Amino acid sequence: MTKIETFALTFVLSLSLAACGGANTKSVATSAAAETTAAAGAESAGGSIGTGNAADLATLMAEEPADATAAAELYQALMTQENVILAEDSALWEKVFLSIDKDQQKFDEGADYGDYLLKAIDGAKEQFTADELARLNAAAEKIKKIEGKLSALEEKYPDCATQPDDSTSAGAAGDSVSAGSAGMTGGSANTAGDNAGTAGDSAEVFPSFEGQDLDGNPVDSATLFSNNAVTVVNFWFTTCKPCVGELPDLEALHQELAKKGGAVIGINAFTLDSNAKEIEDAKSILEQQGVTYPNIWFASNSDAGLFTAGLYAFPTTYVVDRNGRIVGDPIVGAISSDAQMKKLNALIDQALS
Amino acid sequence: MDKKTSNSKIISRFRGWIQGAATLLTNLHLPNFRTGRIYQGQGKIVCVPGLNCYSCPAASGACPIGAFQAVVGSSSFRFSYYITGFLILLGVLLGRFICGFLCPFGWFQELLHRLPGKKLSTKKLKPLTYLKYLVLLLMVVLLPAFAVDELGMGDPFFCKYLCPQGVLEGAIPLSLANAGIRSALGPLFRWKLLILVGIVVLSILIYRPFCKWICPLGAFYALMNRVSLLTIEANAETCISCGKCAKACGMNVDVLKSPNHAECIRCGKCISACPTDALHFRYGFGEKKQRRIHNDTNGSVSENQPKHQI
Repeated sequence: MTKIETFALTFVLSLSLAACGGANTKSVATSAAAETTAAAGAESAGGSIGTGNAADLATLMAEEPADATAAAELYQALMTQENVILAEDSALWEKVFLSIDKDQQKFDEGADYGDYLLKAIDGAKEQFTADELARLNAAAEKIKKIEGKLSALEEKYPDCATQPDDSTSAGAAGDSVSAGSAGMTGGSANTAGDNAGTAGDSAEVFPSFEGQDLDGNPVDSATLFSNNAVTVVNFWFTTCKPCVGELPDLEALHQELAKKGGAVIGINAFTLDSNAKEIEDAKSILEQQGVTYPNIWFASNSDAGLFTAGLYAFPTTYVVDRNGRIVGDPIVGAISSDAQMKKLNALIDQALS
Repeated sequence: MDKKTSNSKIISRFRGWIQGAATLLTNLHLPNFRTGRIYQGQGKIVCVPGLNCYSCPAASGACPIGAFQAVVGSSSFRFSYYITGFLILLGVLLGRFICGFLCPFGWFQELLHRLPGKKLSTKKLKPLTYLKYLVLLLMVVLLPAFAVDELGMGDPFFCKYLCPQGVLEGAIPLSLANAGIRSALGPLFRWKLLILVGIVVLSILIYRPFCKWICPLGAFYALMNRVSLLTIEANAETCISCGKCAKACGMNVDVLKSPNHAECIRCGKCISACPTDALHFRYGFGEKKQRRIHNDTNGSVSENQPKHQI
């Protein structure tokens, strides 16, 4: 008899506990062992992606640039429009992008990005209501039109896809990060392979991104890397103890690098897609640890977002040179120890040389 | 042999296969061993029943002990209701059957124990079995929750300082496939590798030393064994009190005296050893049909005159 009672009690208890834990689930998944679920389910809010203005699409489509500079500007503006369109229903697009089987449906450089999106929507159509499908398809059609205009521009002005860059160092402009980025423009992002020869080595290019720092200022990878002689990129997340522990050391490094024209930037994996609560949490920790260097976020479906999702050891620190190339192997684990710091300094020297 | 007993014997006989299958299901993403990547999909929201490192490249789910520490160690939570509820549920449904049939690290130790050589008894080391409750209380519950830094963040003490499964499944395969991880190995890795080597050597000599003395997950299921739906029952009609069951037990349990003993991992060796087929698994709740067999007042098993109290 007592056994029945014990059992009933335990069962009720366990169910109620399990129910209480519902809200807990995400934190279990995220903090269970140093992983980021940024790619898995976070709401994307990429509305502010891009540096261009929100000029009227129709005007842009009608515009015929007079020279190469105007063409490049128009190209940028249209790219921004694409991102704005995608950002309008970012939650739906997130689902579409997640359903894309990377191996099966690789985006062909020559193919039309609009067609690619339409195909991707079709592949994931059972996940959406008729209304949502209509919205997605309409957006994809718009993008298809923009893509048409973009290819026309590229045909006339072959260099217009290259982001204007005020850096004076030769080869820095085109080879590191191309326009568009944010992964949403798929194939046109990252033309590194084409011009890789200019730098004379085959070092890996840090994935491109356009995003914001945690105070909402726009950041893009091309400008960021070309403005710094060396950029130390630190991946971390809020509930990771070693990550938080090394923040003061990274701040000290940032101060030191500033004298040499370098900088540290942080990427908190929880804050991708501008998750407001996570940004709040991250800022509070950064403040407590005395961090002044910028921390940034970008869309989780961008090149850099996918790159972040592929990381499983946190913290991980990359050294990137002025051309946006990753120098050497990343430092896995906190940089606080002497041995790790020595490795990091060697990479920094290599990037500066 | 009645149906219950024959079923129980079949389950016990195929235990090795069930252990292998459970280990495979717990670690489905095998190609990750080659690439050195960790599966990070939705499956990791759920815990697996056994002790299986989250950071094993192939792991299908999260380790309940690791996940619990991660939650209580974070600055936002002091206790994990989700995982505790999950463990209570599993404990009620299966108890330490999970240790005997489903735990990958239990299987690992058993395979090592099959290596030929001298085997040692742990009968006299009973006090050490209480160590695991201390590990559960201190390293899994209290220290991660309360030994925190100024930001309220604690360490997963058990995972960080003690767990040999983490080295076996996580650190070793990851560092083999990934140069970055390899270069990050330090004193902590050497310490835990030493623990793993110690457990491996002990496992060859002793049956499941980690389960007996250290495992906090086993400790939790041990506490649940008494209220578990799964029990072992003896048929008083056919039992001849020969004592073969107690001799067959690798966990030093006398199943006749205490069928729901905290150390019983429900492996069924006693069921297989019983010459009169008097033992069988029993599932469900309610009063038992037969009373359990009581031994002499002095506790020793009397050879020739079994005493039945019906």
